[in-house]
Amino acid sequence: MLSVGDIMARDLVTIGPDESIERAAGLMNRYRVGGLPVVRDGRLVGIITSRDVRGSHGNRLVVDAMSKQVVVVSEDCSLWEAKELMEQHGIERLVVVEDGRPVGVITKSRLYAELGKYVDALTGLHRAEFLQRKAADLLQQGKEIAIIFLDLDDFGAVDKELGHVWGDKILQQVAQVLRGVMEDGVDYLSRYAGDEFAVVTTRSFDEARKLAWRMVRVLAEERWPHGVSVTGSAGVAGGRRGYMREEANEKWTVADLINMASLASTRAKKDRKPVIVVGRVELQEAG
Amino acid sequence: MRKIDINIGLSEFEIPPMQDILLVGKKAAIGPEAIRQMVSALSPDQYEVVRVDHDIFEAAVIKKSLVKLLPQDKLLPLILEEGACLATDKMVVKARVHIGVHVSRVVDL
Repeated sequence: MLSVGDIMARDLVTIGPDESIERAAGLMNRYRVGGLPVVRDGRLVGIITSRDVRGSHGNRLVVDAMSKQVVVVSEDCSLWEAKELMEQHGIERLVVVEDGRPVGVITKSRLYAELGKYVDALTGLHRAEFLQRKAADLLQQGKEIAIIFLDLDDFGAVDKELGHVWGDKILQQVAQVLRGVMEDGVDYLSRYAGDEFAVVTTRSFDEARKLAWRMVRVLAEERWPHGVSVTGSAGVAGGRRGYMREEANEKWTVADLINMASLASTRAKKDRKPVIVVGRVELQEAG
Repeated sequence: MRKIDINIGLSEFEIPPMQDILLVGKKAAIGPEAIRQMVSALSPDQYEVVRVDHDIFEAAVIKKSLVKLLPQDKLLPLILEEGACLATDKMVVKARVHIGVHVSRVVDL
């Protein structure tokens, strides 16, 4: 899964704190960048942006115009964490540091362009890759997670009956309805594939089971175009961190968990039960 | 025929070039750190740079001997108030401050 180190600009243009604003403006112009990390003896001491430059006399020192509070990330920071940081601080770029030394810069436009690849264009939901990464991140933070996998029942028939244009509209509506029962910062909804939706949640296992029921119920209660019936079958699997140390192992366990939930949703569909819970597992180090 | 007039003005460079106090405008051509470096090179340990929360000025450079006579929290608001009447945020204003101490004592005979 991509992290900041995979997409950051490594050809850093920096400036010293005792250089002039005029020189900073010249560098920004020459290299077509909107900000420069300010570096003294190889260490990051600030950042100066084109906005700082516009508001300062060209004769000033960079140290007298720069921001001393720099929001930094490490190379292994996930793209979603970087996005959250940028939005939280209302900034356009993050400096990437290792041992206090700047090694790259990631801009908002570059980040958003990359993240766009992980967003489903039809529904606006995240795609499967986001779910996998988010689940791995939550496990790494020591949180207990549950995966809810929801498969729409016989959605192919809707496509055949109404055509794919209406099928797509219904998928958008499904996404909207499901969003309505999610809690920000707790539940992370994604369109996993076609007519499959998945949630990673930090709710307790029992609460996750209740959420799965709610998801199934809101779909059943929704009024759909042309009076079609849209229902779903859900599987729930929960897990918590065991003895994992390496990220590669967590990816395996997350994949296992998603697979368990997916198989449970298939069984629910087969057994004509709205929700099947497969239990909570201790995620062990892969041997 | 072409002639060139040359006028030369000589005077002693004042060290330090500032007097008792400098008020540094927020958009002045020189900022507080640059001034700190200048005064520490020209007059080591004689001046203090104080950051201020003010509409026009962002810092004041004060001669340390002045704040021995009058505490900074009494002196600085006066100087900022007067400075703000004539300065803009693009200026660096220098101020000369004279503090007179009047003492009247009674001695028993």
